[in-house]
Amino acid sequence: MLAAVFFVALSLLMCVACVLAVLAITQVEMGGSQAIKRDGMRAGARAPRWALTDAAGVAYTSPPQRPLQLVVFAGHSLRSFPSVVEGLRKLAAQATELEIVLLLRHPNEIAQPMLEVLGLGSVPVLTGTPSLYGRYNVRVSPWLMFVDSQGRVRASSLVNEDWQVGRLYQLANLPLDSAAAQASSRSGHRTSGIEV
Amino acid sequence: MDALILGAKSVIAVMLLFAGGAKLADVAGFAATMRLFLPWQPPRAVVRGSAVSVAGGELLLGAGSLSSPSVRWLNPVIFAVALLFVGVAAVGYVLYRGRSCRCFGALSQRKFDALGVLRSVAIAAIAAVAMAAVRPTAVHVSATERALLTVAAILLALAALAAARSVGSSQITESRLTVR
Repeated sequence: MLAAVFFVALSLLMCVACVLAVLAITQVEMGGSQAIKRDGMRAGARAPRWALTDAAGVAYTSPPQRPLQLVVFAGHSLRSFPSVVEGLRKLAAQATELEIVLLLRHPNEIAQPMLEVLGLGSVPVLTGTPSLYGRYNVRVSPWLMFVDSQGRVRASSLVNEDWQVGRLYQLANLPLDSAAAQASSRSGHRTSGIEV
Repeated sequence: MDALILGAKSVIAVMLLFAGGAKLADVAGFAATMRLFLPWQPPRAVVRGSAVSVAGGELLLGAGSLSSPSVRWLNPVIFAVALLFVGVAAVGYVLYRGRSCRCFGALSQRKFDALGVLRSVAIAAIAAVAMAAVRPTAVHVSATERALLTVAAILLALAALAAARSVGSSQITESRLTVR
C-alpha cells in the first residue's frame, strides 16, 4: 500500500517537474533575441482580419481595399528610431498604391501628435489590442508587415534602419513562393525576416 | 526494492509522455528522421502516418504505464521499445552521426552521437528494472489515483506538445535577406 502511494506521489511529482521544465525551456528558447527576430508571420500566411477606425472615425480594414497595406506595429517609441521614420516617410511619398497604418498595442493618445511631429501625420493610427498583436505573432517594435488585398502576408520583419523599410517593400512586391505559401498555410507564425 | 522498480516505471512513463508529445508537435521533422532508416522510399503519407503512430504509441504506453501500473504486459512492451531506441541510436551513430535525432522534437537539440547511444542504453536499463516483479499491493492504485495520474499524463503530453510547437515554429525561418 505504501509502495503504491509512493508510486502515485513520485509520478505526480515527476509530471509537475517535467511541465515546469518544459515551461523553462520554452521561456529560454522564446525569450532570446534570435527567437524574437523570427516573430511575425511567414510570407503567404493568412493575416488576421480586422476592421478598425482611427480617431477621425475613418474605417480601415485588413485585408485592405488597396493592393498592399503596410501595418506598422509601433507606438510612440517609433521616435527612438529616426531612421525607420525616414524610411516610412520615403515609402509613403513613393508608393502611392500602398496603405500605411500604425497599429497600437494599447490606446495611446500621444501617438497621433507624435506621428505629426515626425512628419507622418498622414498615417492613420489604429488602436489594436495585445490579442491582435498576438495573432500577428509580434512581440517587439518597430515591426513591419505587408499584407495584400487577398489578406496574405507578403513580408514581415523587425526593422531598425530606413534601408530595411525599402528592402522589405521590395520583398513584398515579389511573387509569393508557392512552397512558402503552402508551408505557411499549415503554420503562419513563421517569418521572412531581415537581419537587423 | 519495490520503490526502485516503481521509480523506474515512473521515470520511463514520464519520458515516453514527454517524447511523444514533443514529437507530435513536429511530425514532419520526425518523419524526415524516420525516412533515414528506411531502405526504400515509401510515399510521404505512409512515413508521416508512421511518425504519428510512433508518437501516439509513446503517448499511449506512457499514459497506460503511469495510470495502470498493475498491467504487467506493458512492461516488456516498453522494454522492447527501449531496445528499439538503442538500435536506432546505434545505427544513427554509425550512419548519421551529428544529425538531429528529433527524439524530443524541437525541445532538444540532441544528435546521433556516442552520448546518445549511452543514453538510450541507460533508458533500456531503467525499462529492464521496471520489468521486475513487485508485490500486487504495491501497484494497486484506487480509481481516484488512476484518474489523477491520467490527468497528469494528459497535461504533461499537452505541455510538451505546445512547447515543442512554439519553439519549433520559432526555430524555422526563411531569411531571404541578411545583408544590405
